[in-house]
Amino acid sequence: MQRDHGCHRIDHEFSRRGFLASGALAGVASLSSPSLAKELQKKQKRVLQIYLQGGVSQLESWDPKPGTRYGGPFRPIPTSVPGMHICELLPHTAQRMHLMSIVRGINLKTNSHHDGRLFMEMGRRAGKFPYVGSVAAKYLMPENAPLPGYLHVTTRGLTDFTNAFLDARYGQLKLAGPQVPENLIRPKVVTADAARRSRTLLKRLNNRFSGRGGQKSFTDSYNASFEMAEKLMARRELFEGEPAGRDLDRYGRHPFGRNCLLARSLLENGGTVVKVTHHGYDTHAENFNFHLEQLGEFDKTFCMLLDDLNDSGMLESTLVMIYSEFGRTPKINVRYGRDHWGTAWSIALGGQGITPGAIVGATNKEGTEVSQREVDGGHLFHTYLQALGIDSTAYHTLDGRKVPIGDPTRQPIQELLA
Amino acid sequence: MRRYLPIILALVLVGPVMDVAAEAPGNGLPQQVDKLIEAALPNFAEHASPLCNDAEFLRRVTLDLTATIPSSEATRRFLADTTPTGTKRVRLIDRLLASPAYARRMQYLLDWILMERRSSENVPSAGWESYLRQAATENRPWDQLAHEILVEGGGDSKTRSRARFYLDREFDLTVVTRDVGRIFMGKDLECAQCHNHPVVDAYLQRHYYGLKAFLDRSYLFTDPKSKKKSLGEKAEGDVTFTSAFDDTKGKTSPRILDLAEIIDPDGSNKQYVTKPSKSARGVPRYSRRQQLGIAVTAEQNRAFRLNIANRLWAAMMGRGLVEPLDLGHVDNPPSHPELLDLLGDQLHDHGYDMKWFLGQLARTRAYQRSSLTSEPSAKVALKHFAVGLLKPLSPEQYAWATMEATGVLASTRSSARKKLESEAAQARAKKTKKTSQAGSDKKPDSDAKQDKAATPSAVSITISSAALETAVDKAVAGHIKTFVAQFAVDGGQTTSFSATAPQALFLVNGALVWDWLKPTTTNLTGRLSKLDDPTAVAEELYIGVLNRPPTESERNEVMVYLAASSDRSEATLELTWALLLSAEFRFNH
Repeated sequence: MQRDHGCHRIDHEFSRRGFLASGALAGVASLSSPSLAKELQKKQKRVLQIYLQGGVSQLESWDPKPGTRYGGPFRPIPTSVPGMHICELLPHTAQRMHLMSIVRGINLKTNSHHDGRLFMEMGRRAGKFPYVGSVAAKYLMPENAPLPGYLHVTTRGLTDFTNAFLDARYGQLKLAGPQVPENLIRPKVVTADAARRSRTLLKRLNNRFSGRGGQKSFTDSYNASFEMAEKLMARRELFEGEPAGRDLDRYGRHPFGRNCLLARSLLENGGTVVKVTHHGYDTHAENFNFHLEQLGEFDKTFCMLLDDLNDSGMLESTLVMIYSEFGRTPKINVRYGRDHWGTAWSIALGGQGITPGAIVGATNKEGTEVSQREVDGGHLFHTYLQALGIDSTAYHTLDGRKVPIGDPTRQPIQELLA
Repeated sequence: MRRYLPIILALVLVGPVMDVAAEAPGNGLPQQVDKLIEAALPNFAEHASPLCNDAEFLRRVTLDLTATIPSSEATRRFLADTTPTGTKRVRLIDRLLASPAYARRMQYLLDWILMERRSSENVPSAGWESYLRQAATENRPWDQLAHEILVEGGGDSKTRSRARFYLDREFDLTVVTRDVGRIFMGKDLECAQCHNHPVVDAYLQRHYYGLKAFLDRSYLFTDPKSKKKSLGEKAEGDVTFTSAFDDTKGKTSPRILDLAEIIDPDGSNKQYVTKPSKSARGVPRYSRRQQLGIAVTAEQNRAFRLNIANRLWAAMMGRGLVEPLDLGHVDNPPSHPELLDLLGDQLHDHGYDMKWFLGQLARTRAYQRSSLTSEPSAKVALKHFAVGLLKPLSPEQYAWATMEATGVLASTRSSARKKLESEAAQARAKKTKKTSQAGSDKKPDSDAKQDKAATPSAVSITISSAALETAVDKAVAGHIKTFVAQFAVDGGQTTSFSATAPQALFLVNGALVWDWLKPTTTNLTGRLSKLDDPTAVAEELYIGVLNRPPTESERNEVMVYLAASSDRSEATLELTWALLLSAEFRFNH
């Protein structure tokens, strides 16, 4: 049984447009406050994003509705936070909820993968704006960061224009997994000297050409791709060698386990924003079996990563986001599936700047609508950035024009900010 | 004297402009285009770049019309040609449009527009590609092509390839309805599916369902024996919809936007040529999908002509008059509304002749402006086409250009020619032998003469350039695939650009590029290694890779680089590599 029956690969994942509300072409943006950026960089805050692609069911995770007609077969279990219950599919996570918080009242007013994802990433329903990962990379990335600022470990390589009008350096770099990225090693015919010489020449040539056609963002992006490539080439050891057996036992030997191990080492080695996508939550059919399987994989692996960050003291400076493009319908369809549902669903946050052990917002008894503290992608976007100490009400400066960082009609969820 | 200098300079700068105008006087489409472009910005002249030089024009238009860069020889020939610029450029445009490589370029462009980098699922891409190539070779009008694709169900093996549009979208109704709107009319109605569009007031739910009603009766049919998928169609069923916001109900017959509903003819309900069953593909007497082909391409549907005009304009100019290309509506108006109307109407009036249209665009000053600009005015200049825009090479253009620059293509072409010639010679020999055997009873003495004539060396065999190009296509197909896998962005035609680190790694360390750089007797690095004079190296290098002679300082840079290295051939390789990876090569400027 195909879980995402009726949904299509490209339509679900590709992100290519979003019309330009501002009418602006991509251009150069500079820091609204350079001193602020320096200050943040010194403290080296980081972001870990775990993206449950396809839309995880809130009912089988953060917002169970036991004993209702839509509740499904799984039971809620108590967590390490008194009074907080989550679904039994997350037993390890349940024991660590004192480190995390839940936002239960999300209403995106869209059921499209594409629109939901962009709203969650850009904090805007429409338009061409940078993803939260690119904004965070811009403000948090140290000047001589050893790794590209925004790394995304995902088994599917679709190109997103995540930096929008921000500098291409803050764009997302995709890694296919823990293996050495393709073409990372210099071919034998090229000596180290030759490589250095010719790359210097290339830089000179490209600087001369820069800004042609008035499209500096094009040439910047091209040049930045080489900078990022060089950073990766210099850190090839991150991709070499098998992880320790103990780590694999803890994280799991499946791709998600290995990807999370890579995420850990990227964060430890100077990564600023690291995103790991866990694919396969678009459960239009067999929702319960697939969630049993998927969350089984997610639960322990995520908790091992959380423990490691916590033990090393990194968690307090790392914002942790567990999110999707939307949740799943309370109504169970004829194929035992749940469909797209942006109307009343949840995410979990923790770490840097987040009050732990909290639940913000609620849905009604059957989970069919938000009953308390309704928020959308705009509120969440402000919340992520403010948790990182970034003033989301400030502006990007774009060719002399000011573009608000977060949607000015939305505010952060104050009660969640530590 | 001093006070006359600016005037003289101005005359020098304006020179080529007048020349182009002189070539096509009066009020042709290029002149009308430029008039509208230049009138749209009050101080246009202040922002405008001069026309690009011959070298830039040659590279630009060769890429845009034939998907590759010119060869070194073609570059030298064009630069040496002393014909007045305007005439020379128009001749070049016409020559490129007449070459078989034009059809290759159109195949790529149409494939991108129509299939948006989708993988082949039910219809092999080879058949689809040759369908597009054939259409482009014949210069089949866009409305005819669109009609063919929109009505095709894939049941007939002769025309099945055309059904790739539907079948490789698995005929998901949501997807095909949306894509018909986006790709053929430049309107993305997806969000109007559940309710009137939340952000775009002009997109209404009935627009989406009106379009859907054309396709709603079609369904994916899997042949029980061959397991091949094709489209069946029912002769019943209507489309109703409910707003997710306020429960407003609606019902619609097939309908294009706000044009009249197309009502089924009386008595057509449940009337079949073939009744749908498990083993048979339903064929109705009255097909709504046939109506879609007619209605989309119809005279009254202005969105159809504006969409294709905008898409072809974007392909040539680097930016659509409507951007994004599939979001044309009242609140996202074209940057030059009058111009878009003009282009759409002219394309329509010329029978949707895309070749003619592209040739006209290439003749405009707007197309021929230099991409060199002074930074401060760039933003305005860019929006108003007062400066040539950078266009990232499409993956296919990038592959061909790289092969042309490194010299891989020349050797591929020459082996393909040899192979074709020897095949033709063999075929002729066989035929001659047959004929002579057949005739041997009567005239045995003619045998010797016939045999001699049949040896390949004795006759000249002409290989048509179209046949040669097809053979070259076959030979490089794998390389094109590699570049597409590496450089294609998922999704449809766009003018945006983003480079990734994996792409950079492919260029910096990838085996393929280094393999092409390895000196051989015929390729560029091989040619360069035979040159002693560093000036000649610089010249050959710049002409070969960037299709222009080096500037004084670039020539010096090459000489210094060569002088600093103890290994001449290594240094030559590095120089070639750097030029090949330069932004100047990556973009069509």
